Amino acid sequence: MSADNTPGVEERPTREVSLTVNGEDLSASVEPRLKLSDFLRQHADCRGVRVGCEHGVCGACTVSVDGDLVKSCLMYAVQTDGSRVRTVEGLAEDGSLHPIQEAFHEEHALQCGFCTSGFVMSTEALLAENPDPSREEMESHLSSNICRCTGYQNIYDAVERAADRLGDLDVDA
Amino acid sequence: MSTPDSASETETEGEAAAAEERFVGTGLERVEDRRILTGEAEYIHDVTPEACLEMGLLRTTHAFADIVAIDASAARDHPDCELVLTGEDVAAAYEPMPCGLNGLSEWSLARDTVRFVGEPVALVVAADRYVVEDLVDLIDVEYDTRDPIVDPIEARRDERLVHDQIDTNVPDGETLEFGAVDDAFAAADNVLENQYSWGRISGVPLETAGVVAEYDTETDSFDIDCNIQLHTLVDDTVYEPLGYDPDDVRLNVPPDVGGSYGTKIAIHRYCALAAMASQQLDGRPVRFVEDRIENLQGGDMHSSDREYLMRMAYDDDGTIRALDVNFVDDFGAYPRYPVNQTLKPLSVVSNAYDVRDVRYNYEIVLTNKTAQTAYRGFGVDPHLYALETAVDEAAADLGMDPYEFRQRNLVQPDQQPYRLPTKNVYDSGDYPAALARIREIVEEREETEGGLLDPDVVERRREAGKYRGVSYTVHIEPGVSGADWTDRQRSDRDALADRDIEDVAELPEHLRCVVDDDGTVRASLATDSSGQGHQTLVKQLLADELSVLPSDIEVDYLDSVDAPTEYGSAASRMAVMLSGAAEGLAATLTDNLEELAADHWGVAPEAVTYREGAVERDDGDEHLALADLASLDRDTDPDDRLTRASYDYQHPALDHEAFDEAFAQKLPVYPTAAFAANAPIVEVDVETGAVEVLKFYSLRDCGTQLNPMIVEGQAAGGLAQGIGAALQEEFAYDDAGQPQAVTLFDYLLPSTKKTPEMVLEHTETPSPFTATGAKGTGEGGMIDGPASVATAINRALEPYDVVVDRIPATPNRVRQWLRES
Repeated sequence: MSADNTPGVEERPTREVSLTVNGEDLSASVEPRLKLSDFLRQHADCRGVRVGCEHGVCGACTVSVDGDLVKSCLMYAVQTDGSRVRTVEGLAEDGSLHPIQEAFHEEHALQCGFCTSGFVMSTEALLAENPDPSREEMESHLSSNICRCTGYQNIYDAVERAADRLGDLDVDA
Repeated sequence: MSTPDSASETETEGEAAAAEERFVGTGLERVEDRRILTGEAEYIHDVTPEACLEMGLLRTTHAFADIVAIDASAARDHPDCELVLTGEDVAAAYEPMPCGLNGLSEWSLARDTVRFVGEPVALVVAADRYVVEDLVDLIDVEYDTRDPIVDPIEARRDERLVHDQIDTNVPDGETLEFGAVDDAFAAADNVLENQYSWGRISGVPLETAGVVAEYDTETDSFDIDCNIQLHTLVDDTVYEPLGYDPDDVRLNVPPDVGGSYGTKIAIHRYCALAAMASQQLDGRPVRFVEDRIENLQGGDMHSSDREYLMRMAYDDDGTIRALDVNFVDDFGAYPRYPVNQTLKPLSVVSNAYDVRDVRYNYEIVLTNKTAQTAYRGFGVDPHLYALETAVDEAAADLGMDPYEFRQRNLVQPDQQPYRLPTKNVYDSGDYPAALARIREIVEEREETEGGLLDPDVVERRREAGKYRGVSYTVHIEPGVSGADWTDRQRSDRDALADRDIEDVAELPEHLRCVVDDDGTVRASLATDSSGQGHQTLVKQLLADELSVLPSDIEVDYLDSVDAPTEYGSAASRMAVMLSGAAEGLAATLTDNLEELAADHWGVAPEAVTYREGAVERDDGDEHLALADLASLDRDTDPDDRLTRASYDYQHPALDHEAFDEAFAQKLPVYPTAAFAANAPIVEVDVETGAVEVLKFYSLRDCGTQLNPMIVEGQAAGGLAQGIGAALQEEFAYDDAGQPQAVTLFDYLLPSTKKTPEMVLEHTETPSPFTATGAKGTGEGGMIDGPASVATAINRALEPYDVVVDRIPATPNRVRQWLRES
């Protein structure tokens, strides 16, 4: 490869991307090669999107795109043009933790916390689909996220607690 | 200044409650969690000062080669390029990095020769990381390749050398003898001699290494934010390569680090390079975040990679008479700091068994691989694996039930504290009872109808080619390492015999605090944390010591310049060291506060008493709450304020003569012996070779539990890592020295699918050596998990006479053992 093939900043292509992130409209001009994970961290101030492997194994960067669970290191930002993206920053409301976040706290389902955003987002998607998952269903669904600290036991307990709490909220409603 | 009465009114209720309530021993929820759960936590990846530049590294793809020429002109000439540095540039202006052994040093960018795949050759700086990687691709390096040295057993023959200047691939090793080993072997009925291999693994935290460095042109000093572990201890690995004094290089670790498990102790290459780059760029901030491939391939963070030759002498009745432990440990291309993981097993050399005659021989071997550093367990995990596998083989040789064989040899409770022949001392514990209890639990719950080990179920599964087994083992987790012995390999070992306890220089644990205007006690930790919950722990400890609520305590962190040199969060130290430090700090603070209040009232300090967040006059009803005391002190020179205190808690083993000999001779000193009796139930598919841990029973004892929730979290997480090590994690290399695990598709971290249900039981046998009775317990599961799983596979495959003589026990290896059985 020669220098001629690496254009300077003024020559590198950019594209406009417009999307909503946690309900806020956002437009930016980005290089097409910019990963969604980096876009969210650099342009949307969503630093809770953790980057652990950048090849789609660890799941720390898991976010929701139009309701689908996505590893944001495996998508380009430009692919989300017109989409609704949700990150862990979108969960707590008015300073109160979301029931899933509360449950993770109460069950000690995090230690170093680097995987936690991804697990919380995965748990939200699981419970939306299956409000009362069995341990096996949790294991299966959460197998796309890696935690190196907890051994997962407390994460299952947190999912169970969150399911109970969200179930109670539904009944109340 | 508010009046004493009005200021304390609102606090009275809380303080009364706090006085009655004890927080140590409860599962107080963690103060760290909220910021993490909401995404607000600031990890090193989030530290981005304005106009921060990005650094990238060109890494060699050769295992062993001489650098003929580097042409970086295309990168340098590119309009987006801010800086390129090569090894020669670094050597012209800076110093090499220190090594773990004297006489060796390492340049942060390779000069002349590259010695492992992934070794950095040049650095590039630009405004954007994506562009940096483009520019890295523009650098041309011409190499003259050499035949790599990959196999450590071949390497130790010294036919070809990794480093020409030191004439050997075995830069260090020792044979240590305790007792009359040859006599014991000669007298024993039986001698076993077997080889065991422990594959290269590591902690692989989800957060990679990262640094943001800023050089200050005015003060000629550096501010370096980074996620290094033990920042006050290993700061020399950063300031030495920069060629600066300790006070000019400020290492600051963010409160949140995304896991380390020991592996981030050795990320100094990145810290130094980013600092050099910032200096070359007149102080513009430079950031480097390691990507995952860099981390796995050449991130200086692999761990123990050992070949054992284990000899054991034992009598026909099953009594172990002597051990002769020999191993080579493949350190890769450089013996980086630390190297004393080869010595730590001496602290638990016979595990929970009473064996008096022991020989211990190790060799540090160099090869063309990325370097080793620390990983949870720090070399004890392979030792226990090799020892317990040998025990299985001895029991099989005698036709004895391995449970009975183990019970026969365990240290008895009336032998506690138990002094090992290697001079370390176990503090307390009833190992025979723990082993008996875990078997009883498994028999009651699993060998009954419908249980995993229901004999009918076991038989049916066998008919389908699925072999189940359980093994019962007890393991000691050495905790709270001393610091003085850790440089044994850089010391004059011949002079150690003349040393005595007066010559020992230990590192205390430092803790300090100030009382804020609102009465909050703000404590500052000198250690860094990476998920262990130290902020929570200090809140609990100080709340109890000061009889206030945990919410009245705030905890932050000191950088390497503000903090004294201390050991920090390694070797399962913090529960014990912070217990002692908090006790001492609180006593110092309350003395200060009494003095302050007495002075205010014009009475003698003896006439006042600190109680529940306030100082009271013994002769009346006046009292001054913490906020009032802070107000009284506000106009005093900060250095003289009595609302500040600091305390240095000395290592607890220094108070016990039993450790003097180990201290003086620089043998490993670990004054707490947490222990675990384990019983994993495994199932092996004899067709595919796949091993599944169905359930992991573990009875654990780490003395007094300061926070049972955190203790249990550490145990479960450690066991998951232990299971990964036993079954699937490995940094393999091919014959050309090419690493085979450079993504998380190859280096297999245990997922939910591979991590079994864990049934954890706890007992508490307080340590007589520590302030709260706590024992160190950060590493346990990783120390005892691998040996436990390996021996359970031995049980499951007993009908085939298979012995797990190599871990990880991957399916292909299991199939090979079965074919050869």
